[in-house]
Amino acid sequence: MSDASPPKRRKGINWAPYLLILPTLIYLLLFFGYPMVRGLLLAVQDEGARLAVLSDAERSSPTSGTLPRGTSVEILDRQANAIDPADLGQTNMVTETWYFIQAQDASGQTVEGWTPETRIRVREQDEEGRPVAGTVRSVISSTADPLTSVYAEPDGGSEIIARLEARSEVQISDQSTLEIWYQIRGEENGQVVEGWAPSRYIQTLGDGSTGRIARGNLAQFTTIYIRRMINDRFFWPALTTTALLIVLIIPAQFVLAIIMALVIQANPKFNSIFLYIFSIALGISDLAAGILWYSIFTQSGYLNSILQGLGLIERPITYLSAGSRHWIILAIWLAEVWRATSLVMVIVVAGMQAISREVLEAAEVFGANLWQRIRHIILPLLRPSLQVALILRTILALQVFAVVIALSGGDVVTVLANETYRQYYDLRNFNVAAAYASFILLLSMITSVFYLRAVRYQEETTA
Amino acid sequence: MTTALESKTTAQASPEVLAIHRRMLRRQRLGRALVYVVAILISLWVLVPIWFIASMAFTTPQVVRSYPKGVLPFIPFSTDTMAFFLRSAGIIPGIINSVVVALITLVLSTLIAAPAGYALSRYVFRGRDAFRLAILAVRAFPIVVLSIPLAVVFLRLRIYDSIYSLALMHTALALPTTVLVLSSVFASIPYELEEAAQVFGCSPVRAFRHVVLPLALPGIAASAIFTFVLSWNEVFAATILTLRNRTLPAQVLVNLNISSEPYQFAGGFFLMIPALIFIFFIRRYLFNMWGQITK
Repeated sequence: MSDASPPKRRKGINWAPYLLILPTLIYLLLFFGYPMVRGLLLAVQDEGARLAVLSDAERSSPTSGTLPRGTSVEILDRQANAIDPADLGQTNMVTETWYFIQAQDASGQTVEGWTPETRIRVREQDEEGRPVAGTVRSVISSTADPLTSVYAEPDGGSEIIARLEARSEVQISDQSTLEIWYQIRGEENGQVVEGWAPSRYIQTLGDGSTGRIARGNLAQFTTIYIRRMINDRFFWPALTTTALLIVLIIPAQFVLAIIMALVIQANPKFNSIFLYIFSIALGISDLAAGILWYSIFTQSGYLNSILQGLGLIERPITYLSAGSRHWIILAIWLAEVWRATSLVMVIVVAGMQAISREVLEAAEVFGANLWQRIRHIILPLLRPSLQVALILRTILALQVFAVVIALSGGDVVTVLANETYRQYYDLRNFNVAAAYASFILLLSMITSVFYLRAVRYQEETTA
Repeated sequence: MTTALESKTTAQASPEVLAIHRRMLRRQRLGRALVYVVAILISLWVLVPIWFIASMAFTTPQVVRSYPKGVLPFIPFSTDTMAFFLRSAGIIPGIINSVVVALITLVLSTLIAAPAGYALSRYVFRGRDAFRLAILAVRAFPIVVLSIPLAVVFLRLRIYDSIYSLALMHTALALPTTVLVLSSVFASIPYELEEAAQVFGCSPVRAFRHVVLPLALPGIAASAIFTFVLSWNEVFAATILTLRNRTLPAQVLVNLNISSEPYQFAGGFFLMIPALIFIFFIRRYLFNMWGQITK
């Protein structure tokens, strides 16, 4: 890494570098910053905790109060309202279709306007199934208004521009889907709240004169997801196993990585081949590594085959089962040391290349043996690299996932990332999954603080 | 240690000194031999498990299920197990999805990161260190767990279960590393060359296009290959963000508990193939990629 050529200075404010880093900044904000905030909110916010009740049946009207989810309400009135096209996929909406019609009223005048679908019997449709013509339905009830109103807008509250008699012929030229809004009255802690709310939030009961608030549209801070995470029966096993794996894996990786780096540094013949072999694992996924070690530890796998071949065992041993947790941990340990040591090795080799050869040669000339050179020269000078590798490995170890699934099926031995996956994928519990994700982020953030310190320390010492 | 010191101080080559010299030479030879022994042992530790799974992937399913298994190359070679895996449901589409996601990721991350890498290597500007530090911090972050909130956002935007959305996530994953690697790639190209081109009348863009880019190309290619492998291997986000359009690792993972050993072993080996091939080509650049982390 000879990024020694110093960056060039230019006079005045140069906007070029800012333009050049802008795409990266925007991208990271969109796909790193935003999801991080979003994840935290998912973990601590109950999104539909309260419903805002509006003073009029219109989205832009002011709020007259809020009610919590689950409140029983009286339904006083209903009205059809235009829907934002983006909301059409919303669940539990009660909708009404209105037709734009042309017809002749009793006096022979042609009128144009909107009327509810329920008032028109469709007689003719075009080839795509859209209604084009029909007749006005007759009103059976004797008490009701025998005439059908035509409105200026697709809205029961708008001006009535005409009244049509039953069985009048109409042409249908357009239609519009409206959502029903309810005027509701509910009570919280003795306080009565009255106002309008879209039907998607209200579940009507019985004859439609009462109902309850099925979900809200206002978020509320909650610790329920975090509590659910902590009380989950897999939380503590996952946390302790993750910690145990970190404690077991990292020292072994460091010893092995330093040995690998010393070998590379000794520059044997075929160094390039050795370097390739040592780094292969850098490109191997944890899933593949997990499957690979599964092939060794499974009951009819290589370990049993070899042991039986050597006559050490009579019958194959079951390693990866519910009753042999320690074997699974050992297998995960081997798989992770096998797979992820190469990363530490690369960082350590890079750090060693920065140690001047003269220092090492001087030590050798003065008779320091290998252990003395490692102990008193290489390790102290490698300290910053090791620190960085340590923290990077710790954070990566927090994400251990597929290895565990491959070797334990994800039940006997579980880790934090696996629980995140289980909550999301098996239990479909996005909020608790987000709580797990935030927990992992928090642990990494704590580690990152140390990491940034290490980097700064390094910059100070190399500056 | 004291004897060595004395040998240095007595300049004359006495028999004593020669003896010490011989001893040192012997020790050096011994050390040399030790290096080879250790190197070969570690190589075996890396390669033997790969040999195990490769020999399972390239034999008949009957042999895969047999016990005890042969260890040395006595296993009958056959492509049956691999063919069985490749013919399983969802594997070929999974491979295609994986390749498409990896290609989009590498193109996107290279295009976005190259300017930033260039800026880091060529300009001194206010906020440069903060930007660099932010990139370092983001790289160390467990970005994959962000796929949970992203999945919720994608569901709402109706771009869930799409390989293109997954590629966006993978780009975020690869971007910090790519920025740092490309910055060191550009930094290794002397600025003087670019300056000379400009002196001879090239515009900065032309100088970049005709002088810097050709020299940076091997490094950019190495970084792109690494991004490809990264995306190909990524399993957590892929499983979270897709449902029917699975990538290969996601497909293998969700079927792991319900599949047979021939499927698992062939799949495991198949997933390793890019690593085996590509790491060979980029091994010299690995230090730029990861060693650079401390700078």
